[in-house]
Amino acid sequence: MKALYRKYRREWSALLALIVTIVLFSILESSYLSVANLTTIITQAVTYGLMGIGMTCVIITGGIDLSVGSALALVACIGAQLAKAGVPIPIWVVVCLAMGFVFGAINGFLVGVLKLQPFVATMGTMSIYRGVSYVITGGFPVLSVPRDYRNVFNFQITSTMTFSVVVFLVFAVIMTIVLKKTKLGAHTYAIGGNEDAARLSGVRVGRTKVIMYGLALLGTTLAGLVQVGRLGTGDPSTGQGYEMDAIAAAAIGGTSMAGGRGNIFGTVIGAILFSALKVGLIVMGVDTFYQYIVTGVVVIFAAYLEIVQGNMMQKGSKNEVRVK
Amino acid sequence: MAAYIEFRHITKVFPGQKALDDVSFSINRGEIHAIIGENGAGKSTLLNILHGAFPATSGEITFDGKPVHFSGTADAIKFGIAKVHQEIVSIPEMTVAENLFLGKEPTAGIFLNKRKMNAEAERILGRLQTDIRPTDRMGSLSTGQKQMVAIAKALDGNVKLISFDEPTSSLSDAEVKVLFDIIADLKKSGITILYISHKMSEIFSICDRATILRDGKFINTVQMRSTTRDEIIHDMVGRDVSLFAQRTIPSQCQKDKVTLEVENLSGEMFHNVSFQLHKGEILGFFGLVGAGRTEVMRGIYGADKVTGGTVRLNGKTLKCSSPHDAIKAGIALISENRKEEGIVPNLNNMDNMALPCLDKFRSAMLINTHKKYENAKDKGGKVGLRPNDPEFMTMSLSGGNAQKVILARWMSTDATVMIFDEPTKGIDIGAKADIYHLMEQMAQEGMSIIMISSELTEVMGMSDRILVMRDGRLTAEIERGQFSEENILNYAVEGE
Repeated sequence: MKALYRKYRREWSALLALIVTIVLFSILESSYLSVANLTTIITQAVTYGLMGIGMTCVIITGGIDLSVGSALALVACIGAQLAKAGVPIPIWVVVCLAMGFVFGAINGFLVGVLKLQPFVATMGTMSIYRGVSYVITGGFPVLSVPRDYRNVFNFQITSTMTFSVVVFLVFAVIMTIVLKKTKLGAHTYAIGGNEDAARLSGVRVGRTKVIMYGLALLGTTLAGLVQVGRLGTGDPSTGQGYEMDAIAAAAIGGTSMAGGRGNIFGTVIGAILFSALKVGLIVMGVDTFYQYIVTGVVVIFAAYLEIVQGNMMQKGSKNEVRVK
Repeated sequence: MAAYIEFRHITKVFPGQKALDDVSFSINRGEIHAIIGENGAGKSTLLNILHGAFPATSGEITFDGKPVHFSGTADAIKFGIAKVHQEIVSIPEMTVAENLFLGKEPTAGIFLNKRKMNAEAERILGRLQTDIRPTDRMGSLSTGQKQMVAIAKALDGNVKLISFDEPTSSLSDAEVKVLFDIIADLKKSGITILYISHKMSEIFSICDRATILRDGKFINTVQMRSTTRDEIIHDMVGRDVSLFAQRTIPSQCQKDKVTLEVENLSGEMFHNVSFQLHKGEILGFFGLVGAGRTEVMRGIYGADKVTGGTVRLNGKTLKCSSPHDAIKAGIALISENRKEEGIVPNLNNMDNMALPCLDKFRSAMLINTHKKYENAKDKGGKVGLRPNDPEFMTMSLSGGNAQKVILARWMSTDATVMIFDEPTKGIDIGAKADIYHLMEQMAQEGMSIIMISSELTEVMGMSDRILVMRDGRLTAEIERGQFSEENILNYAVEGE
């Protein structure tokens, strides 16, 4: 238990922050814990979380993916168009996911094989994916997606919950297994820790990045399809600024922006915390403009916490050596 | 001669351990004084206290009989105590002068006074009699020249004492010579020098006296003129250890079985390199830094591109376009830069060891942590890792132990050819002996070993055969019977 605590020190503190946030808001505003409100928190957390999980994977490789917001719009638009064209549902699902993987793999190719800076490369694709979304839709939302397609990722499992929560949790579990239990995951952490050492140890860095960026964008793809399900439209202008929310979820969850450290559990907590905070501010009646400020402060604080705890851990481990 | 600097009953306690325990000794004015001890003996702690990095728990340091207290390293530098760092820290994109004056740039109003900076830099560099110009880009300098700049940095101001912490670890023999001349000059100009090194030959050739620490305790201060290597080593480790790299297992080289055959290999830094490596052989590669040895190995290993030539392993032509291919074929490369190219800092021992061969630890698609753990425990035991804890973070280990983790990594693979690049760089004596022994065991088990080394005693002690490189070409092949320092150095410096 103690070992478990020490290993996930950062994640536990995120969890604690989540509990404190919820308790605090519910004291300040009794309607905070209403069913409708909790539903909103979870609905938003699903989007942040799905995208944040992908972002976490990319950040662990030592990179970043700024294109996720645009990719979400592109997936939503193409997905909506295919649905309206009546593509059989199983094929529709597979095609959408494959499409998402390819969009991510393109980022991975630019970063891992052509060795572009992740920031610049994904800023480029961010613009490209957004542009393509507008081009294929003529700039107008794709409206009235048939109910059957909308239900795939978003049917009501209870009166207040939709299937998207299950999608979110399943994706979290799968990516946790990928990161912690597969060769691909082990290589991902190694690349983020020391890319040269990883390459000299036989890790195929380019290939690993292509696959990992691809898998990472599956989260965004799912988020896009959930959104299509919820709204019934594929909007080319949707998802703007979502990359920031995804990064925030990862950062709050203890993912190190330097790469090599982070995990999905932390990001899931981070996404819920982020959502709980945003919704809380709305319920409290805080002006939207202030919400941006609070969001920024929280992200910066989380990053600072990362540094402080990183230092503490380093000191701690040095002491351990001395003792031994 | 009167004591210049006196350490009086210095004790330093860190949480959980006494790093220094009642250490008292003195340093004379203008002498070159070595501090010797195994890793963890307390050398760095002592140095850090002297340089004001942190205070002693108890005890005091006196200069000319007067106690001094430094509130930080800047304070110590102001007083005239400077340090040449072990790892050369510099900013490659900036000029030499800018590096020299980093953090203390001369200014005119709010602007930098570049003219004054360059003139000052010129003056300091002139004192070292180098041909480095203040306006040279730091990144364009050789390692030796960078070291000069590091010394120049220490020379600035009214310096009274300079300490050198392992200054030769990244220098070639020729560069070491230049460094020693400079140290001798510094001594002549009245500067007191503290010299920390693992290398006995250096200490004997330039130091006047040496103080030996062991486990945080003062053991002895000796006059270099009237002591021997063996005495010092005995003091250091408290037991007798053979200092020299020596074969303890008779050579297992099977001359009739060629494992690796390299023919006319060429690359950016080397040309037409051809050699054969036999089963069970330890093949030494000697040369000065920059001779192209590392580059040849990286070429064979697929880490760098080669422009021509062939590599055959057990008769089969190899086409390695990446380390991944080389490892699959059974070649391992242990890089000289352990930190930059060896250890993955966010991984623990078992993950660092398993990295090249994760397939071995898989059950179906998933990696079996238990198998990784068992492997780490087993290989860690074989290499004598301390602590042999698979979940220990490799980054927190000492140099010697970290190197053992890297050895264990490659022992986990099915490599039959092991390429060691400076395997004992920055490693204390005890661990060195362990690593030599492991290399011998590997050879005995039928592996073929290539060892790049810039330490003559090491190559001569360990190799069955030595190949010498100079300026990217092989200049000599010397059989064990013909080893002599002069012979080998001759080829490394002058070629044929």
